[in-house]
Amino acid sequence: MREITLQPISVMTDGGGSDGHMILADGLLVAILSRVTEEQTLGGQAQVEGWFLEAGFGPCGVLMSVTPPVFADVDEAVVWVRARLEAGFSPS
Amino acid sequence: MTRMTNPLILKLEQRDQLSDAEKRALENAVSRVRIVEADEDIVREGDRPSESSLLLDGFAVRYKIVSNGRRQISAIHVPGDFIDLHSFLLKTMDHGVLALTTCRIALVPHTTLEKITDEFPHLTRMLWLNTLIDGAIHREWLTAMGRLSATAHMAHLICELYLRLKMVGRAEGDTVQLPITQAELGDTLGLSTVHVNRVLQELRKEGLIRFQGEALTILDWERLKKVGEFTSTYLSLQNEDR
Repeated sequence: MREITLQPISVMTDGGGSDGHMILADGLLVAILSRVTEEQTLGGQAQVEGWFLEAGFGPCGVLMSVTPPVFADVDEAVVWVRARLEAGFSPS
Repeated sequence: MTRMTNPLILKLEQRDQLSDAEKRALENAVSRVRIVEADEDIVREGDRPSESSLLLDGFAVRYKIVSNGRRQISAIHVPGDFIDLHSFLLKTMDHGVLALTTCRIALVPHTTLEKITDEFPHLTRMLWLNTLIDGAIHREWLTAMGRLSATAHMAHLICELYLRLKMVGRAEGDTVQLPITQAELGDTLGLSTVHVNRVLQELRKEGLIRFQGEALTILDWERLKKVGEFTSTYLSLQNEDR
Protein backbone atom coordinates (compact mmCIF):
# COMPACT_ATOMS: atom_id res chain seq x y z
CA MET A 1 0.00 0.00 0.00
CA ARG A 2 1.22 3.48 -0.87
CA GLU A 3 2.38 5.71 1.92
CA ILE A 4 0.09 8.72 2.20
CA THR A 5 1.48 11.78 3.97
CA LEU A 6 -0.04 15.17 4.68
CA GLN A 7 1.69 18.52 4.82
CA PRO A 8 -0.09 21.66 6.01
CA ILE A 9 -0.05 24.56 3.56
CA SER A 10 -1.88 27.87 3.28
CA VAL A 11 -3.83 28.22 0.05
CA MET A 12 -4.76 31.55 -1.51
CA THR A 13 -8.51 31.65 -2.04
CA ASP A 14 -10.86 34.62 -2.32
CA GLY A 15 -7.96 36.99 -1.93
CA GLY A 16 -6.98 35.62 1.49
CA GLY A 17 -5.28 32.54 2.81
CA SER A 18 -7.15 29.48 3.97
CA ASP A 19 -5.96 26.39 5.77
CA GLY A 20 -4.93 23.63 3.47
CA HIS A 21 -3.13 20.32 3.12
CA MET A 22 -0.92 18.83 0.47
CA ILE A 23 -1.50 15.12 0.12
CA LEU A 24 1.43 13.08 -1.07
CA ALA A 25 1.50 9.47 -2.15
CA ASP A 26 4.96 7.92 -1.83
CA GLY A 27 6.33 11.45 -1.85
CA LEU A 28 4.45 12.52 -5.00
CA LEU A 29 1.94 15.36 -4.79
CA VAL A 30 -1.53 14.06 -5.63
CA ALA A 31 -3.94 16.57 -4.08
CA ILE A 32 -4.28 19.97 -2.45
CA LEU A 33 -7.17 20.53 -0.05
CA SER A 34 -8.42 23.83 1.30
CA ARG A 35 -10.79 24.51 4.14
CA VAL A 36 -14.25 25.71 3.05
CA THR A 37 -17.00 27.04 5.27
CA GLU A 38 -20.72 26.46 5.05
CA GLU A 39 -21.04 29.91 3.46
CA GLN A 40 -18.66 28.99 0.65
CA THR A 41 -20.70 25.96 -0.38
CA LEU A 42 -24.05 27.72 -0.02
CA GLY A 43 -26.75 26.26 -2.22
CA GLY A 44 -24.92 22.99 -2.76
CA GLN A 45 -26.55 19.60 -2.44
CA ALA A 46 -23.86 17.65 -0.66
CA GLN A 47 -21.32 18.27 2.09
CA VAL A 48 -21.71 21.83 3.41
CA GLU A 49 -18.36 22.46 5.05
CA GLY A 50 -15.07 20.69 5.13
CA TRP A 51 -12.14 20.18 2.81
CA PHE A 52 -12.42 21.09 -0.85
CA LEU A 53 -10.32 19.37 -3.48
CA GLU A 54 -8.62 22.49 -4.77
CA ALA A 55 -6.35 20.65 -7.17
CA GLY A 56 -5.61 17.04 -7.94
CA PHE A 57 -2.85 15.39 -9.88
CA GLY A 58 -2.51 12.07 -11.68
CA PRO A 59 -5.52 9.83 -10.94
CA CYS A 60 -6.78 12.53 -8.52
CA GLY A 61 -6.79 15.15 -11.28
CA VAL A 62 -9.76 17.09 -12.54
CA LEU A 63 -9.69 15.24 -15.85
CA MET A 64 -10.66 12.17 -13.89
CA SER A 65 -13.14 13.83 -11.56
CA VAL A 66 -15.00 16.69 -13.21
CA THR A 67 -16.66 18.10 -10.12
CA PRO A 68 -14.21 18.48 -7.24
CA PRO A 69 -15.70 17.05 -4.04
CA VAL A 70 -15.91 18.55 -0.56
CA PHE A 71 -14.84 16.11 2.17
CA ALA A 72 -16.18 16.16 5.72
CA ASP A 73 -12.68 15.69 7.15
CA VAL A 74 -9.14 14.97 6.07
CA ASP A 75 -9.53 11.23 6.75
CA GLU A 76 -12.34 11.08 4.25
CA ALA A 77 -10.13 12.83 1.70
CA VAL A 78 -7.38 10.28 2.28
CA VAL A 79 -9.85 7.42 1.72
CA TRP A 80 -10.86 9.10 -1.55
CA VAL A 81 -7.24 9.56 -2.61
CA ARG A 82 -6.51 5.88 -1.93
CA ALA A 83 -9.55 4.84 -3.97
CA ARG A 84 -8.47 7.05 -6.86
CA LEU A 85 -4.92 5.70 -6.82
CA GLU A 86 -6.26 2.18 -6.83
CA ALA A 87 -8.66 2.89 -9.69
CA GLY A 88 -5.82 4.44 -11.69
CA PHE A 89 -6.79 6.33 -14.80
CA SER A 90 -10.22 4.82 -15.35
CA PRO A 91 -12.92 7.50 -14.96
CA SER A 92 -14.96 7.42 -11.76
CA MET B 1 -55.79 33.32 -25.15
CA THR B 2 -53.54 36.25 -26.10
CA ARG B 3 -52.20 36.37 -22.58
CA MET B 4 -51.09 32.76 -22.81
CA THR B 5 -48.95 32.87 -25.92
CA ASN B 6 -47.89 36.44 -25.29
CA PRO B 7 -44.26 35.69 -24.33
CA LEU B 8 -43.63 33.71 -27.54
CA ILE B 9 -45.22 36.47 -29.62
CA LEU B 10 -43.07 39.03 -27.79
CA LYS B 11 -40.01 36.92 -28.47
CA LEU B 12 -40.73 36.49 -32.19
CA GLU B 13 -41.84 40.09 -32.71
CA GLN B 14 -38.47 41.20 -31.43
CA ARG B 15 -37.01 39.61 -34.58
CA ASP B 16 -39.63 40.33 -37.26
CA GLN B 17 -43.20 41.58 -37.58
CA LEU B 18 -46.00 39.08 -37.23
CA SER B 19 -49.31 39.61 -39.00
CA ASP B 20 -52.57 39.50 -37.05
CA ALA B 21 -53.41 36.20 -38.75
CA GLU B 22 -50.07 34.74 -37.64
CA LYS B 23 -50.58 35.90 -34.05
CA ARG B 24 -54.08 34.44 -34.07
CA ALA B 25 -52.74 31.15 -35.40
CA LEU B 26 -50.25 31.00 -32.50
CA GLU B 27 -52.89 31.89 -29.95
CA ASN B 28 -55.30 29.30 -31.29
CA ALA B 29 -52.61 26.63 -31.45
CA VAL B 30 -52.71 26.16 -27.68
CA SER B 31 -54.90 23.18 -26.84
CA ARG B 32 -54.59 23.46 -23.07
CA VAL B 33 -52.51 24.94 -20.26
CA ARG B 34 -50.70 22.70 -17.82
CA ILE B 35 -49.06 23.51 -14.49
CA VAL B 36 -45.88 21.60 -13.64
CA GLU B 37 -44.56 21.89 -10.09
CA ALA B 38 -40.93 22.71 -9.33
CA ASP B 39 -38.50 19.77 -9.69
CA GLU B 40 -40.94 17.77 -11.79
CA ASP B 41 -40.18 16.65 -15.32
CA ILE B 42 -42.01 18.47 -18.10
CA VAL B 43 -40.78 15.92 -20.63
CA ARG B 44 -38.58 12.89 -19.97
CA GLU B 45 -35.71 11.48 -21.97
CA GLY B 46 -37.15 8.75 -24.20
CA ASP B 47 -40.65 10.27 -24.31
CA ARG B 48 -42.41 10.59 -27.66
CA PRO B 49 -44.61 13.66 -27.11
CA SER B 50 -47.59 14.35 -29.36
CA GLU B 51 -47.62 17.99 -28.27
CA SER B 52 -44.91 20.60 -27.80
CA SER B 53 -44.54 22.68 -24.64
CA LEU B 54 -44.42 26.44 -24.71
CA LEU B 55 -43.27 28.00 -21.43
CA LEU B 56 -45.60 30.81 -20.32
CA ASP B 57 -44.30 31.33 -16.79
CA GLY B 58 -41.44 29.92 -14.78
CA PHE B 59 -37.99 28.53 -15.42
CA ALA B 60 -37.13 25.15 -16.93
CA VAL B 61 -33.91 23.37 -17.86
CA ARG B 62 -32.87 20.77 -20.40
CA TYR B 63 -30.62 18.21 -18.78
CA LYS B 64 -28.86 14.92 -19.09
CA ILE B 65 -27.71 12.65 -16.30
CA VAL B 66 -24.30 11.02 -16.63
CA SER B 67 -22.65 8.37 -14.45
CA ASN B 68 -22.75 8.77 -10.65
CA GLY B 69 -26.00 10.71 -10.99
CA ARG B 70 -24.12 13.84 -12.08
CA ARG B 71 -26.22 16.19 -14.10
CA GLN B 72 -25.41 18.57 -16.91
CA ILE B 73 -27.87 21.33 -17.66
CA SER B 74 -27.59 22.14 -21.37
CA ALA B 75 -30.17 24.93 -21.59
CA ILE B 76 -32.09 27.26 -19.31
CA HIS B 77 -35.55 28.20 -20.52
CA VAL B 78 -37.44 31.37 -19.74
CA PRO B 79 -41.01 32.41 -20.55
CA GLY B 80 -41.65 32.53 -24.29
CA ASP B 81 -39.35 29.57 -25.02
CA PHE B 82 -40.84 26.76 -27.07
CA ILE B 83 -39.13 24.14 -24.94
CA ASP B 84 -39.56 21.08 -27.12
CA LEU B 85 -40.72 22.46 -30.43
CA HIS B 86 -38.18 20.10 -31.98
CA SER B 87 -39.99 17.03 -30.62
CA PHE B 88 -42.47 17.75 -33.43
CA LEU B 89 -39.84 16.45 -35.86
CA LEU B 90 -37.29 14.63 -33.72
CA LYS B 91 -40.08 12.48 -32.21
CA THR B 92 -38.09 10.77 -29.42
CA MET B 93 -36.66 13.05 -26.69
CA ASP B 94 -32.90 12.57 -26.30
CA HIS B 95 -32.89 14.56 -23.05
CA GLY B 96 -35.30 15.60 -20.32
CA VAL B 97 -36.78 18.98 -19.48
CA LEU B 98 -37.24 19.79 -15.80
CA ALA B 99 -39.25 22.56 -14.15
CA LEU B 100 -36.94 24.59 -11.86
CA THR B 101 -39.89 26.56 -10.50
CA THR B 102 -43.62 26.10 -10.86
CA CYS B 103 -44.13 26.33 -14.61
CA ARG B 104 -47.21 27.31 -16.58
CA ILE B 105 -47.06 25.58 -19.92
CA ALA B 106 -49.14 25.92 -23.06
CA LEU B 107 -49.43 22.69 -25.00
CA VAL B 108 -49.46 22.83 -28.78
CA PRO B 109 -50.46 19.59 -30.53
CA HIS B 110 -48.07 18.42 -33.24
CA THR B 111 -51.05 18.12 -35.60
CA THR B 112 -51.62 21.88 -35.14
CA LEU B 113 -47.95 22.59 -35.81
CA GLU B 114 -48.23 20.56 -38.98
CA LYS B 115 -51.19 22.71 -40.02
CA ILE B 116 -49.22 25.89 -39.31
CA THR B 117 -46.36 24.66 -41.50
CA ASP B 118 -48.89 23.93 -44.26
CA GLU B 119 -50.68 27.28 -44.09
CA PHE B 120 -48.25 29.91 -42.77
CA PRO B 121 -44.88 29.91 -44.55
CA HIS B 122 -43.58 33.04 -42.79
CA LEU B 123 -44.68 31.87 -39.35
CA THR B 124 -43.04 28.52 -40.12
CA ARG B 125 -39.79 30.35 -40.83
CA MET B 126 -40.17 32.21 -37.54
CA LEU B 127 -40.55 28.90 -35.66
CA TRP B 128 -37.55 27.61 -37.57
CA LEU B 129 -35.69 30.76 -36.46
CA ASN B 130 -36.71 29.94 -32.90
CA THR B 131 -34.94 26.56 -33.05
CA LEU B 132 -31.99 28.12 -34.88
CA ILE B 133 -31.55 30.56 -32.00
CA ASP B 134 -31.69 27.60 -29.57
CA GLY B 135 -28.88 26.08 -31.64
CA ALA B 136 -26.91 29.33 -31.61
CA ILE B 137 -27.21 29.48 -27.81
CA HIS B 138 -25.88 25.91 -27.58
CA ARG B 139 -22.85 26.88 -29.71
CA GLU B 140 -22.21 29.89 -27.53
CA TRP B 141 -22.48 27.83 -24.35
CA LEU B 142 -20.12 25.19 -25.73
CA THR B 143 -17.53 27.85 -26.51
CA ALA B 144 -17.93 29.47 -23.11
CA MET B 145 -17.74 26.08 -21.37
CA GLY B 146 -14.57 25.10 -23.17
CA ARG B 147 -12.62 28.30 -23.33
CA LEU B 148 -13.76 30.98 -20.85
CA SER B 149 -12.59 31.25 -17.27
CA ALA B 150 -15.18 30.32 -14.65
CA THR B 151 -15.76 34.00 -13.84
CA ALA B 152 -16.15 34.98 -17.49
CA HIS B 153 -18.45 32.03 -18.08
CA MET B 154 -20.72 33.09 -15.22
CA ALA B 155 -20.72 36.71 -16.43
CA HIS B 156 -21.61 35.52 -19.93
CA LEU B 157 -24.54 33.45 -18.64
CA ILE B 158 -25.84 36.35 -16.57
CA CYS B 159 -25.65 38.71 -19.58
CA GLU B 160 -27.57 36.24 -21.72
CA LEU B 161 -30.28 35.48 -19.17
CA TYR B 162 -30.77 39.16 -18.43
CA LEU B 163 -31.30 39.97 -22.13
CA ARG B 164 -33.56 36.99 -22.74
CA LEU B 165 -35.73 37.87 -19.75
CA LYS B 166 -35.82 41.54 -20.67
CA MET B 167 -36.97 40.67 -24.17
CA VAL B 168 -40.11 38.98 -22.86
CA GLY B 169 -40.91 41.77 -20.43
CA ARG B 170 -39.50 40.08 -17.32
CA ALA B 171 -36.98 42.75 -16.34
CA GLU B 172 -37.70 45.65 -14.05
CA GLY B 173 -35.04 48.13 -14.97
CA ASP B 174 -31.72 46.43 -14.30
CA THR B 175 -33.26 43.70 -12.15
CA VAL B 176 -34.54 40.24 -13.06
CA GLN B 177 -35.85 37.40 -10.90
CA LEU B 178 -33.50 34.45 -11.22
CA PRO B 179 -34.80 31.54 -9.12
CA ILE B 180 -31.80 29.32 -9.85
CA THR B 181 -29.83 27.74 -7.00
CA GLN B 182 -26.07 27.74 -6.90
CA ALA B 183 -26.08 23.96 -7.31
CA GLU B 184 -28.12 24.41 -10.49
CA LEU B 185 -25.72 27.09 -11.70
CA GLY B 186 -22.91 24.61 -11.03
CA ASP B 187 -24.67 21.94 -13.11
CA THR B 188 -25.09 24.51 -15.89
CA LEU B 189 -21.54 25.81 -15.92
CA GLY B 190 -19.85 22.53 -15.03
CA LEU B 191 -18.51 23.99 -11.79
CA SER B 192 -18.48 22.83 -8.17
CA THR B 193 -20.65 24.77 -5.73
CA VAL B 194 -17.47 26.09 -4.13
CA HIS B 195 -16.40 27.60 -7.44
CA VAL B 196 -19.88 28.98 -8.14
CA ASN B 197 -19.73 30.78 -4.80
CA ARG B 198 -16.27 32.10 -5.52
CA VAL B 199 -17.08 33.51 -8.95
CA LEU B 200 -20.34 35.12 -7.76
CA GLN B 201 -18.42 36.61 -4.89
CA GLU B 202 -15.88 37.99 -7.34
CA LEU B 203 -18.54 39.54 -9.58
CA ARG B 204 -20.17 41.09 -6.51
CA LYS B 205 -16.87 42.39 -5.19
CA GLU B 206 -16.11 43.98 -8.56
CA GLY B 207 -19.42 45.81 -8.33
CA LEU B 208 -20.87 44.15 -11.44
CA ILE B 209 -23.94 42.45 -9.98
CA ARG B 210 -25.99 42.25 -6.80
CA PHE B 211 -28.07 39.31 -5.58
CA GLN B 212 -30.88 39.92 -3.11
CA GLY B 213 -32.60 36.59 -2.67
CA GLU B 214 -33.64 35.68 -6.19
CA ALA B 215 -33.46 39.23 -7.48
CA LEU B 216 -30.39 39.78 -9.63
CA THR B 217 -29.43 43.38 -10.39
CA ILE B 218 -26.94 44.33 -13.06
CA LEU B 219 -24.83 47.13 -11.59
CA ASP B 220 -22.39 47.64 -14.46
CA TRP B 221 -23.63 46.21 -17.75
CA GLU B 222 -20.69 47.35 -19.87
CA ARG B 223 -18.07 45.86 -17.59
CA LEU B 224 -20.10 42.67 -17.07
CA LYS B 225 -20.23 42.21 -20.84
CA LYS B 226 -16.52 42.80 -21.07
CA VAL B 227 -15.72 40.29 -18.34
CA GLY B 228 -18.01 37.70 -19.98
CA GLU B 229 -16.73 38.46 -23.51
CA PHE B 230 -20.40 38.80 -24.35
CA THR B 231 -21.79 40.02 -27.66
CA SER B 232 -25.46 39.46 -28.34
CA THR B 233 -25.16 38.66 -32.07
CA TYR B 234 -26.05 34.99 -31.50
CA LEU B 235 -29.41 35.96 -29.99
CA SER B 236 -30.46 37.55 -33.34
CA LEU B 237 -32.17 40.45 -31.60
CA GLN B 238 -32.54 42.77 -34.58
CA ASN B 239 -35.92 43.22 -36.21
CA GLU B 240 -35.74 42.46 -39.90
CA ASP B 241 -37.53 40.60 -42.68
CA ARG B 242 -36.98 36.89 -42.23
